[in-house]
Amino acid sequence: MSAPPPPVGTDAFCSLDAGPEGAALSLRGAWTLANLAALRDALARLPIDPGAPLTVDGAALDALDSAGANRLIAHLDGLGLRFPRLRLSGFGAQGMALLHLVAGRHALPATAPLARRGFGQAIGWHVMRVGHATLSILTFIGQTGQAFAQLLRRPGLFRAREFFVQLEMVGLRAVPIVMLMSYLIGIVIAYLLGLQAKKYGANVFVVDGVGLAITRELAPLMTAVIVAGRSGAAFTAHLGAMKVNQEIDAIASLGLSPWQVLVLPRLLALVLLMPLLTAVADIAGILGAAQVASLHLGVTPHTFFDRLQDVLSTDTVLFGLMKTPVFALAIALIACHNGFSVARDARSVGLRTTATVVRSIVAVILIDSAFAVAYPELM
Amino acid sequence: MSDRPIVEATNVRTRLGGRWVHDGVSFALRRGEITALIGGSGTGKTVLLRELVGLERPTEGRVSLFGEDLASISGQRLNALRRRFGLLFQDGALFSAMSVAENVAAPVVEHLSLPDDLLCEVVNLKLNLVGLPLDAARRRPSELSGGMRKRAALARALALEPELLFLDEPTSGLDPLGAREFDHTLRVLVDSLGLTVLLTTHDLDTLYDLVDRVIVLHEGKVIGDGPLKEVARSQHEWIRSYFDTRMTG
Repeated sequence: MSAPPPPVGTDAFCSLDAGPEGAALSLRGAWTLANLAALRDALARLPIDPGAPLTVDGAALDALDSAGANRLIAHLDGLGLRFPRLRLSGFGAQGMALLHLVAGRHALPATAPLARRGFGQAIGWHVMRVGHATLSILTFIGQTGQAFAQLLRRPGLFRAREFFVQLEMVGLRAVPIVMLMSYLIGIVIAYLLGLQAKKYGANVFVVDGVGLAITRELAPLMTAVIVAGRSGAAFTAHLGAMKVNQEIDAIASLGLSPWQVLVLPRLLALVLLMPLLTAVADIAGILGAAQVASLHLGVTPHTFFDRLQDVLSTDTVLFGLMKTPVFALAIALIACHNGFSVARDARSVGLRTTATVVRSIVAVILIDSAFAVAYPELM
Repeated sequence: MSDRPIVEATNVRTRLGGRWVHDGVSFALRRGEITALIGGSGTGKTVLLRELVGLERPTEGRVSLFGEDLASISGQRLNALRRRFGLLFQDGALFSAMSVAENVAAPVVEHLSLPDDLLCEVVNLKLNLVGLPLDAARRRPSELSGGMRKRAALARALALEPELLFLDEPTSGLDPLGAREFDHTLRVLVDSLGLTVLLTTHDLDTLYDLVDRVIVLHEGKVIGDGPLKEVARSQHEWIRSYFDTRMTG
């Protein structure tokens, strides 16, 4: 019995032996996904001659899975040894089936890795996106206006039930948080003004500043910010989830207008309630300020409200309330538009909800500045 | 090792919404079998599947996977077991924020650290195995048709080379041609990868084409268990009407 020829390459996973009918590649161990990197290195170390016939022996294999089989075939294929030319021995029936399956699918072309966008492309892409977004919100505003005109002509279309549900959701349930926030803001403003006024012994003038600041700017802004974060986000998330679930399409397919059913009740409820919420915020803020005045500035509530009546004009309060329906309109339009723009995936709902809150707060502050500039004209 | 059942449910009882959905369900799956779980809507097929993979717990009874009792093993051990089986959800449950290729790569990236080129090779292989056109790889799941979503989900379920596959309604929502094609793909994969499969289905053609064994759930109990031909011959009223309605059609 002659000694077998020494292996020319050996490894934990495979070895190459020169045999009488060309080279024999013997596989060992677990040819599985977990060992894929080691398998690649082991194969790369073997000096396989692509010109000679090759026998692949799987008798000593512990395990073979599709990733392992694919690596073997891909490596040999890369060397120029096509699968049909291989002689296979020692594989079980399942191993043979697996090799043939993988080899059959291997011939298909591979996917190219995803190309990154270049700088110029990125700019173009963003410009296009802003353009699309602008066009889309303008279209949405137009459609909402059209739906509203239709509602005025045919009041029967009005969805009273949804409207009252929204009144409760955006109005009644927001009252505690709006009052609390405004009350705290009243306290802070009275403190700040009080510190200055005390220096000049002009404590009672705190009333002038507080009255003006709260009713004209702070209460409307705070209320709008709270509503944007609370109801705006809720509108977008609700409508967005309905969109994902194809409920909006279902409404349309029933011959109903999603604008009549979903958008207008929310929009009208918000426009109606924003001034009322702001009025509540006015009262809470002034109460907060009055409390600080009486506890720290020696201005009794009686004096405070007497003074308030003298210096706070109805025009100022009305001006503060007047701009809130415009805030509400902006918030509701942005929120509903974002809800309707949700794509059919989960991530999109989150992105759109974030966009609603950010955009509505920006819109509210922009509108507020416009009103501040236009004040002399208006009053 | 081959004689021990890899999935075993022993006297499983589940109470949901004030009613016993499963009232003593027992069966065992042996290696290499394709088993279908059938039953009317609301008989708790999906719930049973979720219990078998450890997403839910039965109210009473024992469920074991690969010989380990799910009720008594640690979360870490359960996660190790989870690498050994794949699960195909009814609607695919592909991650919507990722492309199809990233979805298939996700389990591999989480559990193994492969260099990029090998990862790409594995993803391509799985997409090829399930017969997904390669231009689909870069697309988001929301841009695919129902059939392609199922295939992508199957590719993800196969990503970690599982021994065991759970499929919840694999052919629902597919057209008959697409469903047969999917069945064929599954058959080829099962035979050559040596998989054990448990699937729930309402699709009789799947039963005839694909399945080695049928388990029938009815009113919380197993009323039939065996090869399709045997089960179809059963005299049980529900089984008879189930097969009659379709066979005459």
